[in-house]
Amino acid sequence: MSDPRQISSEDLALFAMQLLSKEEMAEVSAYVAQSPEARQELAEIQGDLAVYAHTADMHSPPALARERLLKQVAREKKAIPIDRPATTETAVAQTGSAAEGAYGQRGTLGLGGGDYLAEDPPKRSVLSKVFPWAGWAVAAGLAMAAGNLYYQRDALRGALTNQAAQIDHLTADAAAARQVLDTMTDSSAMRVTLVTKGQTVPLPTGRATYVASKGTLIFLASNLQPLQPAKTYELWLIPSAAGANPIPAGTFRPDERGNASVILPPLPKGVEAKAFGVTVEDEGGAATPTQPIILVGE
Amino acid sequence: MYRETGLVNSSPPSMQDDAALLALVERGGESAMASLFDRYSKVVYSVALRVLRDPAAAEDVLQEVFMQIWRNPDSFVATRGSLGGWLAVVARNRSIDALRRKRPMEQVEEMALASNYNLADEAERNSMMEKARGAIRLLPMEQRKTLEMAFFDGLTHSEIAEMTGDPLGTVKTRIRSALGSLRKAFTA
Repeated sequence: MSDPRQISSEDLALFAMQLLSKEEMAEVSAYVAQSPEARQELAEIQGDLAVYAHTADMHSPPALARERLLKQVAREKKAIPIDRPATTETAVAQTGSAAEGAYGQRGTLGLGGGDYLAEDPPKRSVLSKVFPWAGWAVAAGLAMAAGNLYYQRDALRGALTNQAAQIDHLTADAAAARQVLDTMTDSSAMRVTLVTKGQTVPLPTGRATYVASKGTLIFLASNLQPLQPAKTYELWLIPSAAGANPIPAGTFRPDERGNASVILPPLPKGVEAKAFGVTVEDEGGAATPTQPIILVGE
Repeated sequence: MYRETGLVNSSPPSMQDDAALLALVERGGESAMASLFDRYSKVVYSVALRVLRDPAAAEDVLQEVFMQIWRNPDSFVATRGSLGGWLAVVARNRSIDALRRKRPMEQVEEMALASNYNLADEAERNSMMEKARGAIRLLPMEQRKTLEMAFFDGLTHSEIAEMTGDPLGTVKTRIRSALGSLRKAFTA
């Protein structure tokens, strides 16, 4: 390979794969620089190698690799050039001007800067004369954008204040509702059933509050008898529609003082109730009520 | 094979897309950088892993190659080849450098690469991969092994000749023939 004229396509393949000695690399490089045919053949070989590289088994990089790269990218933020166009059109426009040229004439090194087809000297176009003014235009645009941003910020701040007030109001409502609910369901709450004077033995009672249109139900019971293990009370909604089956409205067990509650069980909306009843069922509840009915109210 | 099918005189969509992304990267577009990474990281990592057989080292090469794009995006001119193909070859070269623990040879990375594949399009890329693998499977065993030793293992023709006992000239011819067969498979 001492005579450059004897450099073969085999040598070019080895050159492309960086498998030659330092001296041989320099020799082939010099040969390529002065031979358009060699440059073309070298580009073809690099294309072959690119195809061959894709025969490797594909593996996705670790998920953190992307994050790592983008962090590094963020650390090395760029100063954005404003006096030069960097558009797709610019890059594509160079296609037409690509012409045969010397391999080693380009000044840049690194990423794919090689010259399979070298570029023509840069031409000054109308655009290149206009771009010196682009900086001023960009500055004026930025000033207008800053003004817009200022007013947008004020509007957003006002909206934020209104929303904060609404949130405060809703939070207060929610706190009051929570307090009501907690009082109703607190097992340590004192519950007193008022009866006719002289009646000494309070009987089991239950109070259901039901809104059919919303399907919401609150049931509070007191003075219930304790249950055997593996048994539970079950509340039933008896629809007013003729022939409709009772709808299970939740199971419950009384505490040691005989109090119990069912708060907002899942019920369909719009079912008008004729009555409510309570039965004793096996633990887990039943699909149909088991006689006898312990409590009933219409 | 590639040139007459449009490297020079047409701009396949991938080139325009890659060029647009590179232009955005040049202007500091971090999301464009993320898009390029999403598009080509698998190929770059896979090639590096194939050469180095070490996931951590392959990831280092992956980071190095993409950071080079970030730092110097305009040095790749999309009209001169395929960014995806170029990245695959650069990943291989950087991996071989890492294997040999030597500095990158910028001279050969300053390459042009003839390719007509829309490697930005995943479907086309996968199709090309399958076709290439099929072509490689059809090669005579000694050609396939020799090319693999040279490209993926980074062994010089002298080293391959020493390991296989084949003459130097035979090794060189096998490498060239294997690449020639691959090229023919894509022009057939």
